[in-house]
Amino acid sequence: MGRWLRIGVPVVAALGVAAAPLLITDTFLLKVFTYVGINVLVVVGLALLFGYAGQISLGHAAFLGLGAYTCAFMTVQLHAPWLLAFACAGIVAALGGLLLALPSLNLSGHYLAMATLAFGELATLAFREGSAVTGGVNGLTGIPFPSIGPFELRSAAAIYWLVWGVAGLAVLIAANLTAMRPGRAMRALHGSELGAAASGVDVVGVKVRVFVLSAAMAGLAGALYASAVGFISPSLYTLQASVGFLAMAVVGGTGSLAGPIVAAALLTLVGYLDALIPGLPRATSELIQTYEPDMYGLAIILVVLFAPGGIGSMWRRWRGAGEAR
Amino acid sequence: MSALLQFLIAGLKNGAIYALIALGFTIVFAATGAINFAQGEFFMLGGMLGWWFLHLGLPLPLAVVASVATTAGIAALLELLAVRPIGDGDPLRIIMVTIGASVVLRQLAEHVFGPDELSLPPFAAGASIKVAGAAIEIQTLWIWGITLVAVVGLAILYRYTSLGKAMRATAIQREAAQLVGVDTRRMVTIAFALAGALGAIAGLAVAPLTQTAFDVGTGIGVKGFSAAILGGLGNPVAAVGGGLILGLLESLTAGYISPLYKDAVALVVLLGVLFVRPQGLFGGSRKEKV
Repeated sequence: MGRWLRIGVPVVAALGVAAAPLLITDTFLLKVFTYVGINVLVVVGLALLFGYAGQISLGHAAFLGLGAYTCAFMTVQLHAPWLLAFACAGIVAALGGLLLALPSLNLSGHYLAMATLAFGELATLAFREGSAVTGGVNGLTGIPFPSIGPFELRSAAAIYWLVWGVAGLAVLIAANLTAMRPGRAMRALHGSELGAAASGVDVVGVKVRVFVLSAAMAGLAGALYASAVGFISPSLYTLQASVGFLAMAVVGGTGSLAGPIVAAALLTLVGYLDALIPGLPRATSELIQTYEPDMYGLAIILVVLFAPGGIGSMWRRWRGAGEAR
Repeated sequence: MSALLQFLIAGLKNGAIYALIALGFTIVFAATGAINFAQGEFFMLGGMLGWWFLHLGLPLPLAVVASVATTAGIAALLELLAVRPIGDGDPLRIIMVTIGASVVLRQLAEHVFGPDELSLPPFAAGASIKVAGAAIEIQTLWIWGITLVAVVGLAILYRYTSLGKAMRATAIQREAAQLVGVDTRRMVTIAFALAGALGAIAGLAVAPLTQTAFDVGTGIGVKGFSAAILGGLGNPVAAVGGGLILGLLESLTAGYISPLYKDAVALVVLLGVLFVRPQGLFGGSRKEKV
């Protein structure tokens, strides 16, 4: 039963996600599910960092921004091939992660939270003031669609498959990492850094690698968003966005990938309920959008207070109870 | 010469405000071992509630007092509802809860008071004073006076009253304080209320000079935390020193380099101090609690 669930559920979920564009004819709805895929990509990285390694980040939106601006600048100004720009987006964000991770090695808890927050705020300032590259407060427009060689991915379905392809790859990588030695090292780190070091875990190496990988995933997500939407501005990469991603990771729970993926999907979809439920009155959907940030804040508070393990641990408990029976 | 003097005055004015926010961080840190990420929202609430009470028809002094009291109440409520239920007092969970709370407080302020910038009248009428070619606004004198009174009041509270002694005992050794009969849980609530009051006073004091809005909390929170870290977290005197130094650094950067970089100063200082000397300028090399 447990084995069937462990392999069967992800396979069915993957097939369902892959088949969605064949069943969904509404372009906007398909775009909404594309955003879900982008956020899944971010939150999988954050789940490794926060949920496994226990490292808090309040500046993750900065890495999306780094990726988005890199991809946009390279394709718009330098006319670089999209794949190259996309790869560079991941590399630049990873370098940003390295830049932040190396000096932060001795920091934990609130010190790390504040360092990442300051990094994020500095990045926002740089996006806003570096107008020669970033277009200042107005941002960058006319970012071309993704293209692979001569094939431009224009249709909503093609972009959807690209985004979910990358997200799915990230999930696979993360699942492999967490199932093997690096996963155990990360969990040991979460428990106690001293204890992890004492049992032979390369604490510094693990911390830096998780941070860099998580930043790279966010950077790729940023590049995908920029190419899918065609427009970016500094207001997309604020503390509020970082808190939103953190809320997804927190609600998703620690020591789990499925939990954060589900949380990312749920919290992203709430903002687009009008697309999901066709008959929803306009006033209702506007009300939900007005109160969306409140919801993120409340979700963090309620989960930390009442369900510290988030969705992941609820699922484990339910499954554990099922197996015991 | 008068330009430099003007920069110093502006720096010490902002620095005094940062000092008040830094004191709020310090008081809560001493009592809980955690950073209250909602500290900046107390500053925001102070200004917004002051405006609201004023528009209810209260005279300015009463509106100020009502705003400080209400903010202190909200801060205490935050502790009772969200921080105290964290039974193990895990600092990471307290951080997360206060991050959530800061979002909720900011959003509630927007829903209740609207998205527009609001302002308060100055506390006293009168033209600015000229000192050696530099101008000092009357409101700046108020800010300095308020910060001075707050610092001295806090020092007296901590040093001479039994409440202050109980708070210090809680901060130093919670179990020991409990053994000698201190209600340590009450002390944590009081610490939040005090931090709320200090934040509100700061928010009220600057609202006449710079307008206030629902979203000013994060920015001032980062600056207050930078000041607290610069001085050395957990030490009230160091917090004030850190605030004044940060204010001066910002003002001199804006004056002599470019106003563009003013907001980056606090962030660079924060990262620099965290990376190089997390115990702050005035802190000893005390190791962090594991």
